[in-house]
Amino acid sequence: MRSYRLKIARRTTYTENIFGLEFKYGGIKPWPGQFFHVRVDEGVELFLNRPISVASYKRGHLLLVVKIVGRGTKVLSMKKAGDYLTLFGPFGRRFRPVHKKSLIIAGGIGIAPLHFLAEYMAGCNIDFDVLYGVRNKDEFIFRSDLKRMASRVTFVAERGYKDKETVVARIRRMDLNDFSVGYACGPREMLMALQELNLPITTYAFCEDFMGCGCGLCLGCAIMHKGVYRRICVDGPVLNLGDIDFEVQNL
Amino acid sequence: MTARFLTLEILILKCRIFDIEFKNPVFLASGTFEYGLIYRNVTNRAGAICTKGITARPRGGNPPPRIFETACGLINSVGLENPGVDVFCKETLPRMQRLKTRIFVNVAGFTIDEFVEIVGKIGPRVDGFELNVSCPNVDMGGVSFGRDPDVCAEVVARVRAVTKLPLIVKLTANFCDPLVVARRCVEAGADGISLINTLHGMAFDLKKREVLIQGGLSGPAIKPFALYCVHRLKDIDVPIIGVGGIMSGADAYEFLLAGASAVEIGSAILRDPFSPLRIIKELKRYTG
Ligand SMILES: Cc1cc2nc3c(=O)[nH]c(=O)nc-3n(C[C@H](O)[C@H](O)[C@H](O)COP(=O)(O)OP(=O)(O)OC[C@H]3O[C@@H](n4cnc5c(N)ncnc54)[C@H](O)[C@@H]3O)c2cc1C
Ligand SMILES: Cc1cc2nc3c(=O)[nH]c(=O)nc-3n(C[C@H](O)[C@H](O)[C@H](O)COP(=O)(O)O)c2cc1C
Ligand code: FES
Repeated sequence: MRSYRLKIARRTTYTENIFGLEFKYGGIKPWPGQFFHVRVDEGVELFLNRPISVASYKRGHLLLVVKIVGRGTKVLSMKKAGDYLTLFGPFGRRFRPVHKKSLIIAGGIGIAPLHFLAEYMAGCNIDFDVLYGVRNKDEFIFRSDLKRMASRVTFVAERGYKDKETVVARIRRMDLNDFSVGYACGPREMLMALQELNLPITTYAFCEDFMGCGCGLCLGCAIMHKGVYRRICVDGPVLNLGDIDFEVQNL
Repeated sequence: MTARFLTLEILILKCRIFDIEFKNPVFLASGTFEYGLIYRNVTNRAGAICTKGITARPRGGNPPPRIFETACGLINSVGLENPGVDVFCKETLPRMQRLKTRIFVNVAGFTIDEFVEIVGKIGPRVDGFELNVSCPNVDMGGVSFGRDPDVCAEVVARVRAVTKLPLIVKLTANFCDPLVVARRCVEAGADGISLINTLHGMAFDLKKREVLIQGGLSGPAIKPFALYCVHRLKDIDVPIIGVGGIMSGADAYEFLLAGASAVEIGSAILRDPFSPLRIIKELKRYTG
């Protein structure tokens, strides 16, 4: 882990509330599943850094894709090309995908870390399909990119298409016999529903929670995994979906 | 940082407290640097590390969410997750002993006997103990030890009987006067006082209309109060260690001006794990 002061090379607007920040980056090489801890406030009001996954890393270019959900991501959205940001990382366990036919299962902004995984798998000639769902059909990002890299891409949306469908509904009627592994990232409810389906393939979940340090020091990002608390930031964020107990929550 | 800078830094910031020498008066606070084994280059340059609170039995800690950001700080409810004193002694402590800094074990008992048990089991293998008296006292209906000067004094006296090492009491400022508690602790044999531990805090989930988190508030939000508490103890004649919202060398120096002999860095580490190194460097400008 290192700290970086990086200049935003480019800011891209994908949708009304999703944007991308691109940096020239010559630091420690990030791996699928890893994230950066981004400082949103050089003052101390918004005290904690925000974990943001690597969405793409190619030839010294690092891309973070962010959805505005609250104050911190709003502040980030107002940054322009030429502005500087402080980042810490890369954090998270390095995840090595399996060399077998895979299915990427993305819900909403969950596509961000999975896009980087797709890039990585394409780079090592791993065959994979993508199932990508959003609430409203205007919210898709990386469409052509995914089509280029994956063998097959299925887009589903809850609004905007004639066939309204969720990721979970679609996966129920999919034949998963072709696949050996799945990689899922999306809202908590989606991960919980997927877990309930008891998919016949080994499925890895890209987990999220509130984070403190992002690097194993504060024990603030606990997730119940095989009966013990693990730290999402160092033991994850990629964990076997079947081993997670989502019910253990104060919420 | 060059080697030359390091020697200069040591020359200027080196200090003696409790009759032992410290590289500098900037310590790593309990709970924000785990056991100092992850970023050793930081641990090894700090004056001391206070471990995560160690309990008599292993503790899994609280269910998530454990961290919640609030204005200029955060609320945590980690719930003292730790492997318990036996595993700590067997697995963690041997690795910690290779660290090039002073080690203080933060001791979290739920009964007076537990404080004695933990300190006894760890024995002389560390540089000292920091008694975390903020835990609920199960023998007394769960009221924090730290609120009751008599019980605190008893904890100190009982632990004093089993160790000769420096004994620091980490006071809470929740619903009590730290000056009153500090006086009693010193009478009972404490070698030093550190303060403050986190303040009670909570936040609600507006959508669900439920409590989102309840725990300890820390960070710059509590700094003025922490400073006030340290200053309130200025006439206590044991060393005081100031904790609470320190983000910079200037903040640390403010605590020294208020009467502290050393400071601990907590929440600043969550924002930047290297911040103790920056704070040490900045502090040199004031004391040099
Ligand atoms: C490992 C990891 C990788 C991530 N990668 C990305 C990414 O690539 N792109 C992206 O847009 N987002 C990502 N996130 C989520 C992102 O960190 C949060 O959306 C962000 O911290 C919210 O900050 P805020 O100040 O805007 O929102 P806040 O004002 O803090 O919160 C707004 C709302 O979001 C909820 N919330 C806040 N943080 C989290 C969280 N970490 N998990 C679940 N709910 C939360 C709050 O309950 C609240 O309802 C990732 C999170 C993790 C843990
Ligand atoms: C995540 C977290 C965990 C903590 N764990 C402990 C602990 O185990 N024992 C203890 O005495 N204090 C603990 N503290 C309190 C800190 O050591 C410190 O007293 C407090 O946070 C105030 O300092 P700060 O504002 O610099 O963080 C913890 C604080 C945080 C933020
Ligand atoms: S966020 Fe601090 S341990 Fe994971």
